[in-house]
Amino acid sequence: MDLKRVSQRVSAARAETEARGETFYPGASRIHLASFPPKERWDDWVELDSKAWPERVERRYMLVPTTCFNCEAACGLLAYVDRESLQVRKFEGNPEHPASRGRNCAKGPATLNQVTDPDRILHPLKRAGRRGEGKWVRAEWDEVLEELADRIRSAIQEGRHGEIMYHVGRPGEDGFTERTLAAWGVDGHNSHTNVCSSSARAGYQLWCGMDRPSPDHANADVILLVSSHLETGHYFNPHAQRIIEGKERGAKLVVFDTRLSNTATHADFWLPTVPGSEAAVLLSIANHLIQNNLYDRDFVRRWWNWQEYLEEERPDLEGTFEEFERELRSIYDTYTFDFAAAESGLEADIIAEVAATVAAAGTRLSTYTWRSATSGNEGGWQVARALFLLNALLGAVGTEGGLYPNAWNKFVPRPIRLPRHPEHWNELNWPQEYPLSMYELSFLLPHLLKDGRGKLDVYFTRVYNPVWTNPDGFSWIEALTNEQLVGLHVALTPTWNETAYFADYILPMGLGAERHDLHSYETHDGQWIGFRQPVLRTARQRLGEKVGDTRETNPGEVWEENEFWLELSWRIDPDGSLGIREFVESRENPGRRLTVDEYYAYIFENSVPGLPEAASAEGLTPLEYMRRYGAFELQNRIGPLHETAIEGRELKDIAEHPRGRVYTRVQAPTPLNFVPTGAPDPDIEGRRAVGVRVDGTVLRGFPTPSGLLEFYSPTAASWGWPEYALPTYIRSHVHPDALAEDEMVLISTFRLPVQIHTRSANSKWLDEIAHTNPLWIHPKDARGVGVATGDLVRVETEIGHFVLKTWVTEGIRPGVVACSHHMGRWKLADHGQRQLMATVALGHEKDRWRIDLEAGAQSYESGDPDTGRIWWTDVGVHQNLTFPVHPDPVSGMHCWHQAVRVRKADPADRYGDIQVDTEASHRVFKAWLTKTRPASEHSPDGNRRPHWLIRPVKPTKEAYRLPPSPSAR
Amino acid sequence: MTNRRYVSKPGAGLELAELFRALGSLAEPPTPAAQRLADVLDLGPFPAEADHTELFLFQLIPYASVYLGPEGMLGGEARDLIAGFWRALSLEPPAEPDHLAVMLAFYAGLTEEEAGAEDPGGRTAWRRARKAFLWEHLLSWLPPYLDSAGEHAPPFYRRWARLLEDALREEAIALGEQERLSLHLREAPGVADPREESPEAFVASLLSPARSGMILTRMDIGRAGRELDLGTRAGERRFVLRGLLERDPAGMLEWLRSEAAGWVERHGRDDPLAPQIAAFWRRQAESTADLLAALRPGPE
Repeated sequence: MDLKRVSQRVSAARAETEARGETFYPGASRIHLASFPPKERWDDWVELDSKAWPERVERRYMLVPTTCFNCEAACGLLAYVDRESLQVRKFEGNPEHPASRGRNCAKGPATLNQVTDPDRILHPLKRAGRRGEGKWVRAEWDEVLEELADRIRSAIQEGRHGEIMYHVGRPGEDGFTERTLAAWGVDGHNSHTNVCSSSARAGYQLWCGMDRPSPDHANADVILLVSSHLETGHYFNPHAQRIIEGKERGAKLVVFDTRLSNTATHADFWLPTVPGSEAAVLLSIANHLIQNNLYDRDFVRRWWNWQEYLEEERPDLEGTFEEFERELRSIYDTYTFDFAAAESGLEADIIAEVAATVAAAGTRLSTYTWRSATSGNEGGWQVARALFLLNALLGAVGTEGGLYPNAWNKFVPRPIRLPRHPEHWNELNWPQEYPLSMYELSFLLPHLLKDGRGKLDVYFTRVYNPVWTNPDGFSWIEALTNEQLVGLHVALTPTWNETAYFADYILPMGLGAERHDLHSYETHDGQWIGFRQPVLRTARQRLGEKVGDTRETNPGEVWEENEFWLELSWRIDPDGSLGIREFVESRENPGRRLTVDEYYAYIFENSVPGLPEAASAEGLTPLEYMRRYGAFELQNRIGPLHETAIEGRELKDIAEHPRGRVYTRVQAPTPLNFVPTGAPDPDIEGRRAVGVRVDGTVLRGFPTPSGLLEFYSPTAASWGWPEYALPTYIRSHVHPDALAEDEMVLISTFRLPVQIHTRSANSKWLDEIAHTNPLWIHPKDARGVGVATGDLVRVETEIGHFVLKTWVTEGIRPGVVACSHHMGRWKLADHGQRQLMATVALGHEKDRWRIDLEAGAQSYESGDPDTGRIWWTDVGVHQNLTFPVHPDPVSGMHCWHQAVRVRKADPADRYGDIQVDTEASHRVFKAWLTKTRPASEHSPDGNRRPHWLIRPVKPTKEAYRLPPSPSAR
Repeated sequence: MTNRRYVSKPGAGLELAELFRALGSLAEPPTPAAQRLADVLDLGPFPAEADHTELFLFQLIPYASVYLGPEGMLGGEARDLIAGFWRALSLEPPAEPDHLAVMLAFYAGLTEEEAGAEDPGGRTAWRRARKAFLWEHLLSWLPPYLDSAGEHAPPFYRRWARLLEDALREEAIALGEQERLSLHLREAPGVADPREESPEAFVASLLSPARSGMILTRMDIGRAGRELDLGTRAGERRFVLRGLLERDPAGMLEWLRSEAAGWVERHGRDDPLAPQIAAFWRRQAESTADLLAALRPGPE
């Protein structure tokens, strides 16, 4: 055969076909895991219906992007909206999302379960009996809004701003509610951060002025994780993808984890440290770098505030860098591998090997800690300080494969109309005992209320479940059922939770496919925004329908929060006399309320560089672009921003501190990126801190008081904690020396990859995979206690006990037990989520509370045939109820690890029994309070808190001033 | 050693670019749009979708990594090497750079780039790339693959395989032989010895063509069951083969040995498409046959 002629024949046929405007080559039609429907065909995508198999039934879909609302990472989802029924049939990954890149964990597709959950709350509910009695009647949105608006208006008019509080669990949109509260003039933002990440934040913020790490795992040579980050850590899906990419490139993975987590199984070095000893090990690695001159001298000389350290702490020494290096060697010389081994229970040789591995990484060391050791231990914030020290020594900051501060890798666009700073300071959230706390002392609220420090008139819990999630839940129940302390409790939630039982109103809020939110997270060295949207609303709009608010397309009367807050604000100030209305009034249609479309259209048109151009290239408006693709990447590869030279036009009438901080009279350009960072104070004449002079050039530096990386924290030193001003090791409240002989450490914070706090119980697929939480116990300890796998044990804390089953495993250190988060969900009667909530009897005699398990999960009939197939009954035990509060005296973080006694259950004990003495828990609160160093006694400048530190809804500078009396107590 | 037949002829090759693209396209599912293409190539009655599925999904999955990687599985270093070829040319590799359709379209593209280059330097560079891709990533596995397709495929695809083989031969002659053996093959280990490694590793390596020198399709393994009168269990090839080995170790080892010996013959036949590569495959199959012979149980 003449092949050339055959080939020519094909060419001719192709030319002929293409001349007719037809396609000759049909193109790839195979389906593979990495394939996604091409975005050009998202409007009309045809797939075979898997349920119709073996029949070949075609389904036509409109693919509408949104973002997942389960963990914070906000990975991209594509909703497959059936064009015939206009229902979502499934969720898959959105390949256009720069962080998740089309890949999701199990929780993403399980959004479908949440949307179709037969137990979900579809209408506003109002309590009918006493608070907590469990009787509900349906309420109208209009009635709810009117009552709330009236109460909030009265509180504002009467100067009771401090009685309005919004308490958030899963954040939705960066800054939306903060903007709403600021518009009200209310310092009432309360978050869950102090049961989550405050200590990690404190460590990072004191170093670099930004409070989260953004590791470049994909390009690292060594990845060091103080967490089970591949499976459950923050932003874990986007990060896990990049950790695996790093590993594929040959990166070594070092994992600190007392438990053999899934992440530990992927590690080159698994370091099962004694809980609380992590900083000791990290400092011994730092010491190895220092003593052997393995650090980046030039980086340390240029970017550390070593001069400030010498001047403030060692004025006796000559102020040279060489002198500092000698000092540095002596500061850490006691952190030998042997010392670290003695503290951590690891072998010194292994630590030495890890130290050599870290040293070899150079500027390609990516490190991460978020909850884990930082949130478990008193002084855990120093784990983050000690970890960052490694990056700071190696110069692995802002480098390829190194660590970035989050604010460089995050973009929070400026919204339409910015409100003023509130003029009030909320003492319930920001008590004077914790001037350096990262975020609000949220978990102390019941105790502060009980102590008479204030009361609440309107308290919103918003996708938050403190009764279950926080320590000491019975104290929460006591506070929430006391109508003198909490006037009106409104629970905004997409699903039933334990806290909602103690509300006056339960207001059903949309899930990931039923609400708007805009966000950006530090998943890698880049900047992107992701857009969550109510997909059915968008689908209907795309089909040409006019849709009013999101309730028209959501199930039942489920609403979205943004529209709710806009409407509520509008009603609080109908005539504009309170100065609130202007922030929720349309610019396009003055006199009418701002719509979400206008709100986002403004942001996308005015505050996201590059987006209008990208949209216009496709013939779309910026809002249409975001509705179509769900995400936009502003920049990839940001690089070392601290090295950016400050341009001459920003340097007018400058003043320069002898140590290099440079201040200017030139006003800062209006920022488009509102990402939270430290805000260094101006100089005494009011000039703005603009940069720092390094080797003769004014560079951008870091948003710290010095403009440098603060190895020495003048903030800690001057606010009462001079002994902790350097990265150091603080012995934990569960250090072996602090434990009685028969006590063990309980790790209660570890998470399961397929669940997310208490909000995924409405996902049948996830519940089937993970639904209980036995106590991990080492065989040696199990022998000591006399139990085998499945036997009941009683775990005794300082304030009570709980009874659960054991799982005997070598995957945990001897002397440590562990029980997972998520499980032990309960409901009081018929209301609740039946797939993962047991029915319990709740009772108390004065301060002595108990929960008795009445029934586990059971199969039941509903519109979903799968509920008749529930085969599990055991849904775990609610351990957090038995934990007293342990506020870290510096960061304010709840220190989760518990010293416990584990013993065989009594014959009368039953699985799931919980008993707690709340009087004892209040005593523990008081005891921890004595560890603090209050602003009233230690403030160096008469303020309640260093003004430069990040704080949500920052009040005016006047509100920062301490009141004349020593304490508001 | 360079085979004298394969001496590069300048300017040759563009003529077949379209043919390669067309043949690649036919490795995709036979949608009605592909009918015209099949007609032009005169490959006979258009296949049913089931024929395509049987051949390309169940018997001979058309991904280079399966035949070139030591794992015998999709992806891995073999796919990375092919993706690396794209990157080396500053091109973003597609999601599946090792799918035969993609590879042949890419090869056609390289040919066209060469023909379209305006300066002689550019032409030489594209020619070099094209030649390297042909020898490294196509000829390294397609001869045994197409041989096996000739045995298992329905008539349409048998003709398709033959045509592709002819076209590759013409290209190999036109571009001249590459001196070094393909990188994929240079470091390919042999079959795992079950006396030293686990039974799983042994079975996996038998199913890795680059290690065992033979391609064992599901059909082949089914034939083993029939010939030894053993029922095969439903499952993937590893599972089925493991099951057969457990039930009749002596019989299966002998069957496998004779299969390997058959592949020694097939690789060694006259007029191979790429002699040096054929010699590699033959050596692998010989080693496999020797190992399997050594594993046969001795007399009681």
